[in-house]
Amino acid sequence: MKNMEEIDIRSPVEKAAKMLSKMNLDFFDVYAAYSRSLSIEVLGKGIKEAVSRTDLGLGVRAYKNKGLGVAYSQSLKTEDIETTVRKAVSFATVAQPDPHFKGMPGPSKAPKVEGLCDPEVASLSLDDAGKLVKNMIEAVENVRKGAMYAGGLGAGHMKGFLVTSTGVSVEAEKTSVSAAIVPTYKEGDDIGSSSEYDYAISLKEIDFEKIGKQAAEKAIEQFGSERVESGILPIILTPESSSSLVFSLLGAISGESVVKGRTYASGCLGKQIAPQFFSVVDDGTIPGAISSGAFDGEGVPRRRVVAIEKGVVKTFLHNYYSAGILGVEPTGHAVRGGYGGHVGAGPTNVQVEHGDSTLDEMVAETKTGILATNMIFTPNTVSGEFSSTIDEGFLIKNGEKKHPVKNLMVGGHMLELFRDIELVSKEGRTIGKGYFFPNIKLKQIKLAGK
Amino acid sequence: MVYGELCLRDLLELIVQKGLKAGASFCEARFFEERAKYISVENGVAKSMSSGILHGVGVRVIVNGKWGFASTNVSTKISVERVLCDAIGGAKSISAQKGEEAEIVDQKPVVETVVHEVKLNPDDVSEEEKVKRMLEIEKASRTYSEKVKDTFVSYREVLSKIMVHNSFGTLVEETTPRIMVYCNVISKEGTNMQSGFESKGNVAGYELVETIEIEKFSLKAAETAVKLLDASPPPRGTFTVVVDPDVGGLFVHEAFGHNSEGDLVFGGQSIIADKMGQKVASDLVTIWDDPTIHKNGHFVYDHEGTKAEPHLIVNKGILVGYLHSLESAAKLGGKPQGSARAQNHHSSPIIRMSNTYFAAGDMSLEEVLEDVKTGVFLSGSQYGYVETQKGQFTCKAEQGWLIRNGELSEHLRDVAINGLTLDALKNVSAVSNEVRIEMPGMCGKSGQSMYVDAGAPYMRFEGIVVGGRR
Repeated sequence: MKNMEEIDIRSPVEKAAKMLSKMNLDFFDVYAAYSRSLSIEVLGKGIKEAVSRTDLGLGVRAYKNKGLGVAYSQSLKTEDIETTVRKAVSFATVAQPDPHFKGMPGPSKAPKVEGLCDPEVASLSLDDAGKLVKNMIEAVENVRKGAMYAGGLGAGHMKGFLVTSTGVSVEAEKTSVSAAIVPTYKEGDDIGSSSEYDYAISLKEIDFEKIGKQAAEKAIEQFGSERVESGILPIILTPESSSSLVFSLLGAISGESVVKGRTYASGCLGKQIAPQFFSVVDDGTIPGAISSGAFDGEGVPRRRVVAIEKGVVKTFLHNYYSAGILGVEPTGHAVRGGYGGHVGAGPTNVQVEHGDSTLDEMVAETKTGILATNMIFTPNTVSGEFSSTIDEGFLIKNGEKKHPVKNLMVGGHMLELFRDIELVSKEGRTIGKGYFFPNIKLKQIKLAGK
Repeated sequence: MVYGELCLRDLLELIVQKGLKAGASFCEARFFEERAKYISVENGVAKSMSSGILHGVGVRVIVNGKWGFASTNVSTKISVERVLCDAIGGAKSISAQKGEEAEIVDQKPVVETVVHEVKLNPDDVSEEEKVKRMLEIEKASRTYSEKVKDTFVSYREVLSKIMVHNSFGTLVEETTPRIMVYCNVISKEGTNMQSGFESKGNVAGYELVETIEIEKFSLKAAETAVKLLDASPPPRGTFTVVVDPDVGGLFVHEAFGHNSEGDLVFGGQSIIADKMGQKVASDLVTIWDDPTIHKNGHFVYDHEGTKAEPHLIVNKGILVGYLHSLESAAKLGGKPQGSARAQNHHSSPIIRMSNTYFAAGDMSLEEVLEDVKTGVFLSGSQYGYVETQKGQFTCKAEQGWLIRNGELSEHLRDVAINGLTLDALKNVSAVSNEVRIEMPGMCGKSGQSMYVDAGAPYMRFEGIVVGGRR
């Protein structure tokens, strides 16, 4: 990527804040972000397109009599900032008082989190990015030639600056890089297709050749998929599937929805929902990790939080708004969706505590069961019920991985799944230096098949 | 809008000329602007209002047989010229790499400006009036029953302007107003919580809001949410399934529509890549994608400047067409009919569906149901997705009913179906005589979100997997 053009985002933010401070508001914040990104797109026979983008914008949130007005602009010219400020303020006066709104956080000190900006990513050229993608594709072809592809590489460098009426003034800079490849092979009407990916702050964290090799091996394993009978069987979730299980729970214990009693996990605070050996930590302060930062999206210091301890939900993940409703301290989980003005809440780096089993042991001791190597749990967040497809998986028979499965669904309630966790593995997958997901075996799941 | 000393049109022309001089065999400069307003009502309080303006320029080139694309929203002439350099530099940087060669069909130049007319300009309605109307709509659902726990209504108005200029000499400009209103209701009884959802959206002015009938909108969402409290989880296994026009619309979009997108076809990502002219579905199945219908996926020119026409994809079970961009038409030997759209200036146009639907058959709903001894009826779409390269899809319905001896019986919640596209389409055994296209929404593909709509008649599928808790 060509290094970022020097664009000053501090002065426009300060200019907007100065205007807003004279407008007799309850609270306000101003956030601006500037980013450069590049990508190499892969489709069909290989590399298809080289892309670069520059994005810039500023958003204002203004509260008047507890009513919220938001405005954003992709221009930082003085006249456009003035229009944006005026619009946010006029909308705040039309909006009605939100009885749950308690204000905005004040300034805090937090130690710098090291390693969030990789100069190699910031200066990556499309030329070099293309060569990395070429290596990834060659690694696929070294396993087996003849695939058609989807995927690519993305790299970005972002700077953001937040100022609030309560004295917060926080600057952040970050890089990120991601790679993914989906090889698809055909043998007559039979299809072998799978995917592999990785993402991180730094380029050196990503092993492009390993991604390509693993994607090819997984794709070939998918030949010969068969339907299986409906039934109730044990299921083993590899990290690609256990991550979705854990994310859906953390989503259901995050922010406004959970504290307003709108998710299936709203009643779970302090309750045992999983066995004693199941714990989940959320830590946004890990140096060099993909979801780390000194501060959250509202300027509250990020911290390490034990969300699930020995199977008990210890805390919800809060932004200032949701913490205010429960009358607790915010946990540093505000998520600001860019300069568009929306602030929600959600997890950062999620780490499931490892157990003492292994994937091999889990499979070996399963008489009949399913190994789910790629599936997304998509529950109805309100009711907790889910009905999802096993996108990639295998039948286990007599302790051995047999054929891949197709046309197979699972159904149930999310809380039943956590209750039925039987084993957690020692080994697992670390992503972006921050996430860790082990293999998880559930005692049983309801399958809909033949 | 003025970029430096230039008006927008002159700037796009300058960029395309410079692109050709710099060695591009094709150059396209596209301006995008979106002005949006949003009102959010929750439990009787219009708690937030927002607005924003997105705008910028994206430039796409073919150099040495590879695509380069770059974009910016820094609105200066220098910045847009830099974007052209980035696009050309990008294409050159990958031109030595093995991969997918860029190729497009020649087009006759078109110069036209399209403005979608509205009956009532949203700018002529005060913000206070809009808030009042949303509160009225919301109140109906909140006061429907004591079992209603939370109610949400959101309103979004968008005015988008897209200007495409390319080296064929095409210069088209399309200004499109849109309105979307969503209502979501959560019901609660003891620890049991359920939800109901309704949406309205189209290329329209504020008149769309005035035509909203509360009984068929917010009251209906509340009724669904409350009635679902007494519904049962669905049975598991393989069943005869009858779908309503919304689930049929979700099905045609997910299970088949994505597979017909030309970029996925030439890219080896579609299960129907080698099936042109072959039988891919039951004789009862005819599938159209039609951007000319005045529904949520409507437009006149796509974002490559191609005029939109109806596309017949499957005719009585035979695959007869794919959806095309300039590139897929060249690679697959088709004719571009306007299917390439981009979310905004930061994205390249890719092939998107518009208003996709199964055509009508000749049965009544009663006839579709009457032969079903035991089956599942699905109603209302929630979400769906597909792995096109494997042809495996998942569709989640809002609710369902057991079918016993041709009659709807037990009410079901959280019902989803899964299947293999080609198997499922060959097993269509009945199609009703009336199509409804009324599920305005957004479709995600390759990180881009796009306005679409879909629909169907009532349809019967044999041997579909229903996932459930029982």
